[in-house]
Amino acid sequence: MMGMVLRRAASSCLSVFILVTLVFFMAHLTPGGPAYSILGQKATLASVAQVNARLGLDQPLLKQYGIWWWHLAQGQLGYSYLLNRPVSALLWGYERNTLIFYSIAIFLSTVLAILLGLIQGVYFNRWQAKLIGAFQLGFYAAPPFFVAAMLVLWFSVQAGWLPASGITNLRAEHPSLGAYAAHLVLPVITVTLLTVSPLSRYFGEAVHEELGKDYVRTAQAKGVGFTRILLAHVLRNALRPLVTMLGLSFPYIFTGGVIVESVFNYPGLGWLMWRSALSQDYPVLIAIVLVIGLLTVIGNLLADIVNGLLDPRASYE
Amino acid sequence: MSPVLEIRNLNVALPRGGAGKVSVLDHFSLTVAPGEMLCLVGESGSGKTIAALSIMRLLPPGAELTGEIRLGGQDLAQASEAEMRRVRGKRIGMVFQNTLAALNPTQTVAAQVGEAWRVHEGGSARAARARALELLGEVGIPTPAARLDDYPHQFSGGQRQRVMIALALACSPQLLIADEPTTGLDPLVATQIMALIARLRRERNMAVLFVTHDLSVVRDHADAIHVLYAGRSVEWGPAKNFFIQPRHPYSEALLGAVPRLGTARLQTIPGALPEPETRPPGCRFAPRCGYVQPNCWPDYPPSSCAGDTETACLYPLGTTTHQAEASAAPPSGRSFPLQLEARSLTVRYSNRLALSDVSFSLGRGECLGIVGASGSGKSSLGRAILQMQPYGGQVMLNGQDFSVLRGAAKRDARRRLQVVFQDPRESMNPRMRVSEVIAEPLALQGENDTTARVAELLTSVGLSPDMATRLPATLSGGQAQRVAIARALAANPELIVLDEPTSALDVSTQAMLLNLLKDLAAQHGLSYLLISHDFAVVSYMADRIAVLKEGQIVELAETAKLIANPGDDYTASLIGAARP
Amino acid sequence: MNRPRGNFAVGLALGGIILFLGFIAPFLYPADPYAIHPAYVLQAPSLALPLGTDELGRDNLALVLSGGFATLVVALPAAALAFATGLAYGLLAGLAPAWLDKILMRLLDVFLALPSLIVLLFFASLITLNNTSLILLLGFISWPGLARLVRNETLAQRGRDFILAAEQAGAGRFYLARVHLLRVIAPVLVVNGTFMVGDTIFALSALSFLGLGVQPPKVSWGSLLESALNIIALDPWWLILPPGLLVFGSLLAASLTGQGLLRRWGGGR
Repeated sequence: MMGMVLRRAASSCLSVFILVTLVFFMAHLTPGGPAYSILGQKATLASVAQVNARLGLDQPLLKQYGIWWWHLAQGQLGYSYLLNRPVSALLWGYERNTLIFYSIAIFLSTVLAILLGLIQGVYFNRWQAKLIGAFQLGFYAAPPFFVAAMLVLWFSVQAGWLPASGITNLRAEHPSLGAYAAHLVLPVITVTLLTVSPLSRYFGEAVHEELGKDYVRTAQAKGVGFTRILLAHVLRNALRPLVTMLGLSFPYIFTGGVIVESVFNYPGLGWLMWRSALSQDYPVLIAIVLVIGLLTVIGNLLADIVNGLLDPRASYE
Repeated sequence: MSPVLEIRNLNVALPRGGAGKVSVLDHFSLTVAPGEMLCLVGESGSGKTIAALSIMRLLPPGAELTGEIRLGGQDLAQASEAEMRRVRGKRIGMVFQNTLAALNPTQTVAAQVGEAWRVHEGGSARAARARALELLGEVGIPTPAARLDDYPHQFSGGQRQRVMIALALACSPQLLIADEPTTGLDPLVATQIMALIARLRRERNMAVLFVTHDLSVVRDHADAIHVLYAGRSVEWGPAKNFFIQPRHPYSEALLGAVPRLGTARLQTIPGALPEPETRPPGCRFAPRCGYVQPNCWPDYPPSSCAGDTETACLYPLGTTTHQAEASAAPPSGRSFPLQLEARSLTVRYSNRLALSDVSFSLGRGECLGIVGASGSGKSSLGRAILQMQPYGGQVMLNGQDFSVLRGAAKRDARRRLQVVFQDPRESMNPRMRVSEVIAEPLALQGENDTTARVAELLTSVGLSPDMATRLPATLSGGQAQRVAIARALAANPELIVLDEPTSALDVSTQAMLLNLLKDLAAQHGLSYLLISHDFAVVSYMADRIAVLKEGQIVELAETAKLIANPGDDYTASLIGAARP
Repeated sequence: MNRPRGNFAVGLALGGIILFLGFIAPFLYPADPYAIHPAYVLQAPSLALPLGTDELGRDNLALVLSGGFATLVVALPAAALAFATGLAYGLLAGLAPAWLDKILMRLLDVFLALPSLIVLLFFASLITLNNTSLILLLGFISWPGLARLVRNETLAQRGRDFILAAEQAGAGRFYLARVHLLRVIAPVLVVNGTFMVGDTIFALSALSFLGLGVQPPKVSWGSLLESALNIIALDPWWLILPPGLLVFGSLLAASLTGQGLLRRWGGGR
């Protein structure tokens, strides 16, 4: 089984490599180029040339591409045009924020999804399941910017309970842990509401489907009680789709849902991606594409491994 | 001796669609004595599985159950769920069919067998494991200690069924309910499982309620037979009497429909099983019965007793009519002009040789049977002949080698070979009407007006031309298979490959279909390559039989000669399993 | 999961309302969305101004209607483009010989290697944004999911007995695709086509919200929300609710209709 998992991971790495290459050339072939974004559209040709020379953009494209990989091999991802800082340092700072924010949200979503899904699977077609179904339908379709805006409107503007944006209180010299936590509440709620809906729905469907399978009847015929059937037999078999979905959502832990981070002005990787896209800061964008691509690979790899542990048949498929 | 299980006047209704409940089993009574094996026999839709599940109170939600189910002194029909949990697995063990689905795929067999014991007896995990080891040994799993931590998918079908039996026996129940435990297994394996159950019940003096549609598997071991038809009992009594002299016309027809070595013509039952909603008020078999009288219609007939056998029929059969084994052996030694020749066929999948060096020839108008267990390569053989998959070696049709043909020439040659698959529903596009399905080969040959020809083909396979507008989902299995045959005929073939054409069907439907195929071959001068795991079916149809084992032909001979004089041990054991 | 049949009707009705608001209502409500009235800044809804005004004094109802047209006029053609591309690509890969299928799938993996919003954002930062380029961009980024689905479905169907039987009767690849495959996978196509409309509306709104979609002076639902969020401290609920609810309604309509069809026909996403 390990062989198959590694083969899949290697093939995904190849995809990421092609994607990064594509992105690199697209970025460098676009007319205009970063010099104009830095200097403004009315820049003189001379100053543009000067900037291009400084950034190494006057070199042949293939050579720039080679240099980019050479630098990557040394652990460097280039310099941000706008912030003029090494991209690798920049990424780490923002990624840490996203990591904190999203691990909380994903953890909450998973726990809630398992709970809701179990209820929904067990009470299939009864009012409990229908209630959860309505919640899922609503948040499945709800656009994140709208949910976030409404939460800010209610809890921060109208009620004044929670801060609306940023990561901490900027005026305080030494912001307390409480201030950090307060700033996390609304973003975490937003992401949890939006994530728990598809997760619990797939899991609930899986639970219901597993409950109808023959092995459940066999366990009943052995005299096993319902709770034990649910926890010892059904749960493990129903977890596979949930794990796969969690693996797929892994890259979002780091990109942090560009939209949510932009609404709350939360300085995470998604926010950085957004600002860089607005100002055409290509070294940062390319680096983010690379990082997210690799994280996607890792997410799928983890899901494959966990599923392999959950289901002994996985190696045969 | 007081009975282990006594069911009195059991009625079961299931929710159906949105429109209330429909009775699926009624007036059902049955008694099983200690150590007795009672076989509950019926075709699909007879209510036999519902009866078995009722005893365990494992009916689908919404089911309505009335009557008495006495196990020892306790009425299970009135028992609470908590009380039932102490009965299930402890006093009644149950074995299901399709073990790949019936065992939890993600638990080891030790855990599953151990759980059955631990749930009732308590005890440590280690004790449960020891018990599991003991049980696996008892049901004949070789080197059980080494297999404890294996998962169900790592066992063969027969071994999985043994695991299932071990699980049911964990707490030494007084009664074992076996719901079609041999269905889907190769005949040789089915015989072994049957022998295992018989041995276990002798050793443990355990009562067995054996639910099956297949009379041939229970013939050797049953003490009593109880036949269900359309939700009601038609005949019940000692097995010995039953096989000598069935009393109910349905029992007789059912026995006559089972192909056996040396049968010249199978008996068929006209019509189809009525749906639960449309059951006739009187004898439910009356519309299909050959002996029907006017007074069979108004009321369900009371049962009458003859010897120890009871029959719910006004005119029970008395004397042997055609059960006297009409042993007109198929004419042998017919000669056929050469039509198809296969020379050293080899089929290889990525890491496995499915077929190695198989050669045979097939004459015009001949039926060649290919018999083999699952995994013997018989399906690969069929697909290679049909040019559906790459192969090594040569296939020659009328002296023309397929491997040198290309493009339109190859397509035309392929059309001379048609196919009927096992699963009749899979073989039709679910969104095409019957007329389109049958007209497809015609349309592909450029015929435009196909209506008349479709009607003609439908008639020739025994279906009404009105069927043309139906969708596949509305057809019964037997009807769908007839449509598949009509489609094959539409291409005007010389040879039809029949790949397990009847294994998804009930015995009575199978009988009609086999007879139809025989008649069509005679009318159209067709040749068949009949692929099956069922030796009896093949021997009924085939002029010659090739026995396939592990990708090789171990024996190929004329049917009569092969049966009389098997040249190979494997062949002999197949014949043994098929012999009543 | 277990939603009554009525939801399908609700989805269709909601879809109808959205289409009406986007394509017909702008002509029935004549107010100029771009006219600035400094005297009427940030008015709450009233009889005269049903949805109030924004921070420049523009009529919010006119803005919302115009934003709806701007959104749909891009998202619907983009969905159609993505649908056609995905279908053609998926069928091609599913029916092609194994080596070509392998190459086509490798290419697809490249597109699917990242969350699509990230890819969208990157490409949107490169190009000049106008209706045509947005349609092409959204169409170009949204098809791979459908292509993969169609290809997998095609491969799964290809091994089925009725396809084999048709081939035995002399059917060629083109015939199989036209007569058998399209018919069997039609439900999957319709269902996922419906979902795709929702997906493109969402993607365009998200891009606009992030400032990389419909460009000023034109407004769209996404950009209206973005500008309302900038002044959220002033509690302008009437500027947030209408565009937010309309995007929500569009996605809900697509989702309900698609699931209703799914329920009727079966087929997966």
